[in-house]
Amino acid sequence: MTLNGTDMLPSETKIKFASRFLRSLSKIKKPRSASSLKETQKCSERIKVAAYSSMAHAVGSRRAWSRAVLVKLGSRARQRQVLMRRKRSKVGKKCKRVGMKKKKIKNCVLGQENKLRELVPGGKSMDILSLLEETTHYLTCLSAQVKVMQTIADYYSKG
Amino acid sequence: METRKKVMEIEKARKGQDPFAFRCGLLDLLILPPLKVEVHCLSPSPLRTLASATRRDRGSTGNCSDMTVLERQRPRTKMQQDQQHLQLHDHHRQEEENYFCGTGFNAVFSPLQLQLENSQGLIMAAAGTDSALGEVVAQAPSLKTDPALVNGWPELSKFEIPAMAYVNSAISRTCSCPPSASVKAVAEGKGKELISSEKMSSASGSRENLNKRKAEKIQNPKVVAENNNHKDKKIKMCAEEGESKITEQTSTKNPTTTANNNNRETSADTSKENSKTSEVQKPDYIHVRARRGQATDSHSLAERVRREKISERMKYLQDLVPGCNKITGKAGMLDEIINYVQSLQRQVEFLSMKLAAVNPRLDFNIDDLFAKEVFPACGPSYPTIDMGINTPDMGLRRTISAPVSLPETFLDSSCFTQILPPSTAWENDLQNLYNVEFDQARSTSYPSQQFTGPIEASILKMEM
Repeated sequence: MTLNGTDMLPSETKIKFASRFLRSLSKIKKPRSASSLKETQKCSERIKVAAYSSMAHAVGSRRAWSRAVLVKLGSRARQRQVLMRRKRSKVGKKCKRVGMKKKKIKNCVLGQENKLRELVPGGKSMDILSLLEETTHYLTCLSAQVKVMQTIADYYSKG
Repeated sequence: METRKKVMEIEKARKGQDPFAFRCGLLDLLILPPLKVEVHCLSPSPLRTLASATRRDRGSTGNCSDMTVLERQRPRTKMQQDQQHLQLHDHHRQEEENYFCGTGFNAVFSPLQLQLENSQGLIMAAAGTDSALGEVVAQAPSLKTDPALVNGWPELSKFEIPAMAYVNSAISRTCSCPPSASVKAVAEGKGKELISSEKMSSASGSRENLNKRKAEKIQNPKVVAENNNHKDKKIKMCAEEGESKITEQTSTKNPTTTANNNNRETSADTSKENSKTSEVQKPDYIHVRARRGQATDSHSLAERVRREKISERMKYLQDLVPGCNKITGKAGMLDEIINYVQSLQRQVEFLSMKLAAVNPRLDFNIDDLFAKEVFPACGPSYPTIDMGINTPDMGLRRTISAPVSLPETFLDSSCFTQILPPSTAWENDLQNLYNVEFDQARSTSYPSQQFTGPIEASILKMEM
């Protein structure tokens, strides 16, 4: 196990994530103060995607879950490019949301495993052993991500 | 030692030409605590008697050396037991390596040899088995088709060295001791190994089981330490080693796919497992030792390995997820893990909404600064378009380069004055920041409320 007893992510990864995230934050168009709720929701969605993508980029291709995220992002970006050419239709918006759906499965032991597979990116095509290992790493990265985002949000809310 | 007494008894029986008592005595020896014995004296004896029959089939150099050794030793069967013993003993030392290297018996016998010390009486007895076997052998080459073989030993018939077959038949005919009762002692000699193995196999009922028992093994240091407790399993493995070694030989001649794989695996596994001094190392395979009172079926072994791996990973997850120390059991743990992951993901969503809702008064105008992608210790001062943004970015850049270069360089105030924008407030802040950072370089996380300063302070905290 790579994270043998160490809960902390290496600082290098954290810094990479922070820098990428801040960069992508700056690129996202912020809604004006008088914007509708929908726009804010869209914006928050983009910020969320930016956070996950910057984390995946910071981790790199070392982990199965980060590879899965990058692939998903890449395909999504390509989809978006295609849609940009076409007329903006309802189909485009649906494509964005397909990935967000989550089925509800009963809470049996098999169901738990399936739930975990759905939570961890790329978990559907893993056996239970590697799924657990990926979950471990994913958890550390996720907690680090949350901390960084928290501090950024705190800073900007206070400043 | 009672073992030695028994040995003397057996010797008497042998000398008294009482074959039944002799053989039963041999079997009784199995029950007794292990006597450290020179094993190899036994090995050539059954083999050499059948050397002629199997001569043609042998091709490997190891076998040929077997042959020569056996042939040389053949005339000694007629000589007195003492001489036989001595010669065999001598030859073992010298020729053991040659004898066994080709066949792979090396792994079987070298450890046994190392573990065993000489016992004259037992060797005499062992040599005595030779004569008993000789009687049996003399009877017919049709022993190969003995029904004892057919039952559970289909592969034995293919053996180039059907020593086992003969031993089996000999024992099955001569002694009606119940197989299960005697399987306790560690192998004292190959003959006895074979005996015990034969019994176990007949008890278990099928050859396949024996092979598959050791299809997968893990070297468990704890279990290895508990060697004494696992004699019963060990003897099985020792015995099966002998078989699997033999089958390995045959498999080189007659490649039957699964049997081959099994045999090679088992032989590899047993060789690695049973002796630390074994020279045959096959690191491809996972080695598992069956623990006392547990099933030795290959499927159950594999399952146990899998379960152990899963529980190990669950332990790591338990450390990660807060508040999971009290929960035991896979289902509860999985529940907690799922809840924790979901909560983290929800937190990310919430924070992204917060960031989206943040008053965009502070433009995230980092582009121009990051575009430079240079983190010089001393660089041109940057125009302070946005005080609120630029300085955190520069601070961030410094933090990024901090792990790269020595943090002490940033203590240089000259650098600070060069880099920092002409703002006393920021200067103070950043200097405080770095002071704090280097004062408490290795401290764990602070509550973020302590710092009203820029982001990089918090990021540095997290790094530490």
